[in-house]
Amino acid sequence: MRAGTSLRGERMLRVGILSFAHVHAATYATLLRDWPGVELLTADPDAATAPAEELRGSKLARSLGVNHVDTYEQLFAWHPDAVIVTSENARHRPLVEAAAAAGAAVLCEKPLATTLADGRAMKAACEAAGVTLMMAFPVRFSPAFGQLREAVAGGMLGTLLAATGTNNGKIPVGERAWFTDPELSGGGAMVDHIVHVADLLAVLTGLRPRSVRAVSNRILHVDKPSVRAETGGLVTVSYEGGFVATIDCSWSQPDHAPTWGGLTLQVVGSAGIADIDPFAQHVGGFAESGPGGLHLNYGVNTDSILLAEFLGAVRAGSQPQPDATAGLDTLRIVLAAQESAHIGSVVAL
Amino acid sequence: MTQTPLAVGLIGAGGISHAHIPAWLELGASVTVFTIEGGDEVAARYGIRHVESLEELLAGCDLVDICTPTPTHRFLVEAALTAGKDVVCEKPIALTRADAEAIGALAAAVGHQVFPAHVVRYFPEYRLAQQAIAAGQIGQPAISRFTRIGAHPAWADWFGDNAQSGGIIMDQMIHDLDIARWICGEVVDVYAVQSRVAPATTDNGAGERGADVAPPCVTAQVVLTHESGALSYVTGVWGPPGTTFTTSFSLAGSEGVLVHDSRTDLSIRFDTGERLAAGGMRPDTSLSESPYLTELRDFAAAFAGGSAPRVSFEDGVRAVDIATAANESLRIGASVTLLCADQGVFL
Repeated sequence: MRAGTSLRGERMLRVGILSFAHVHAATYATLLRDWPGVELLTADPDAATAPAEELRGSKLARSLGVNHVDTYEQLFAWHPDAVIVTSENARHRPLVEAAAAAGAAVLCEKPLATTLADGRAMKAACEAAGVTLMMAFPVRFSPAFGQLREAVAGGMLGTLLAATGTNNGKIPVGERAWFTDPELSGGGAMVDHIVHVADLLAVLTGLRPRSVRAVSNRILHVDKPSVRAETGGLVTVSYEGGFVATIDCSWSQPDHAPTWGGLTLQVVGSAGIADIDPFAQHVGGFAESGPGGLHLNYGVNTDSILLAEFLGAVRAGSQPQPDATAGLDTLRIVLAAQESAHIGSVVAL
Repeated sequence: MTQTPLAVGLIGAGGISHAHIPAWLELGASVTVFTIEGGDEVAARYGIRHVESLEELLAGCDLVDICTPTPTHRFLVEAALTAGKDVVCEKPIALTRADAEAIGALAAAVGHQVFPAHVVRYFPEYRLAQQAIAAGQIGQPAISRFTRIGAHPAWADWFGDNAQSGGIIMDQMIHDLDIARWICGEVVDVYAVQSRVAPATTDNGAGERGADVAPPCVTAQVVLTHESGALSYVTGVWGPPGTTFTTSFSLAGSEGVLVHDSRTDLSIRFDTGERLAAGGMRPDTSLSESPYLTELRDFAAAFAGGSAPRVSFEDGVRAVDIATAANESLRIGASVTLLCADQGVFL
């Protein structure tokens, strides 16, 4: 029923989820399953080669209660209006190119790609096909960040001097081993956890990064045999005009902590200092039944706002933000950080 | 039998003296002050004696506590050592390794001790974290972060003069550089960036600085690589007037995480319907023993022949090395290698 309409009279949107490799795929699937005006179809052909203990493919689709087909060809034959690419980081490009060829708008999981060549090709393919590419940077939609952005724009903090960002989380090896396989992920904690803060800083300051200096180590989770990449990192970015920022991108949230981790940003200005902690809102406590304590989040679901932005733009035929440029800009910082950590010196952008 | 009280000769009557003098008095010491200015007030405020010359001070004390601006440290420490006194010296012990080494050499020659007042080691939250990590409670340290935020020092001009204070890294962040090394081990590599906004000048038309001129805002970020492979991030802010003094740390190890934030560690709060006065140049330590007292008691015990204090002269020199490397990193825009743990040699 391609021409179906929703209860509100809107045309039904066909949205495909390409791959369950990324942990966020299940989040998007659950939200879209119940989204008014959306028909959802999923495909996860690489499930066949994923570790047997990982819940993927038709099994995951069944447990989520969403429709599933075996191949991407079948999914594209269904003529989706839009797709979400949640494959392994290094496998974004072929899927985005296929989506462009099929005329489907793309929401791409972060990071955009693992190489600049892939990222540029993806952007070009979408532009050539006239389809939009949006990056999945949900923290941009956090109300806390929104208020910070307004405060900065209104001059409340004066001239911005510096920022400290943290994006610390649990290492995702239990659920998805590929995150620590550089072949598929493009690296370790730096690939996973620099881009969100880097994107927030780009939006907040409007400044271009000029150089990156990073150090990393592999002390955390050294006992996990599947980990083949850095688990800790400190990345310092110098921007035009003298603004500086350091990002802690480590997978330093302990395995048994009561929540997945979080993101914080502290901004220092000449008229004041602001801190945001977009995932802080929760009811805390302890339960005898489990380790680590209880952590019941009630903050707004930024993934849901991200999807609303994406779907609204698909309906309107407009370019949603953050776009491929935001994806490329943040990827450049990741790649420079990796190079800096590798060669041991500052890398100019 | 009554003991003669410990006679402390304290030099300087600036900000930190108001933490040291009450602590010495609490410890039962008698305090005599020598200072360039403000001697009458400080003597009257605490009911202590003040003298008009360094010679007079040195002639009448058992030990010397130097609370003066950094550039005067070497001269005063050397004068005290030469007079046969043990010395407590505010941090940084000196602005350069050469000055610090000269102090160390003289101390060894005259057989007296010099302890740098790295008081943060005596703040219970830092002590507990250091002990927990030393005991292996969170495994091997991996990634640590330390933050220290306050208003730009407004009580004395010399802090803002890099030539005198060494800047925010040498004066303020040296606390956390020392703590990072204390907790995570020797530092082998240092990278630093800094950002500064010049003071908003209120030109009075005569080309002079107005009395209400706003101080500059300065912040720096230093990344340390430790010998063990651990990484630390230290940031300090000298912010706008009224900035609340806050500190925090987050220590991630292979077996767990330790965190502390002075903003959320409040055993008492008031809501009187009024905005509480912000600012303050030092953390509020009123709910437990003053860390300055804990520190000076530790030093006094060591002077009296007890065990080595929590922070040694060498620790103070090493902190100067790290801060110097960070300032060098700022200058050259690249990381600076500290060649070996016991020598302040940079690549």
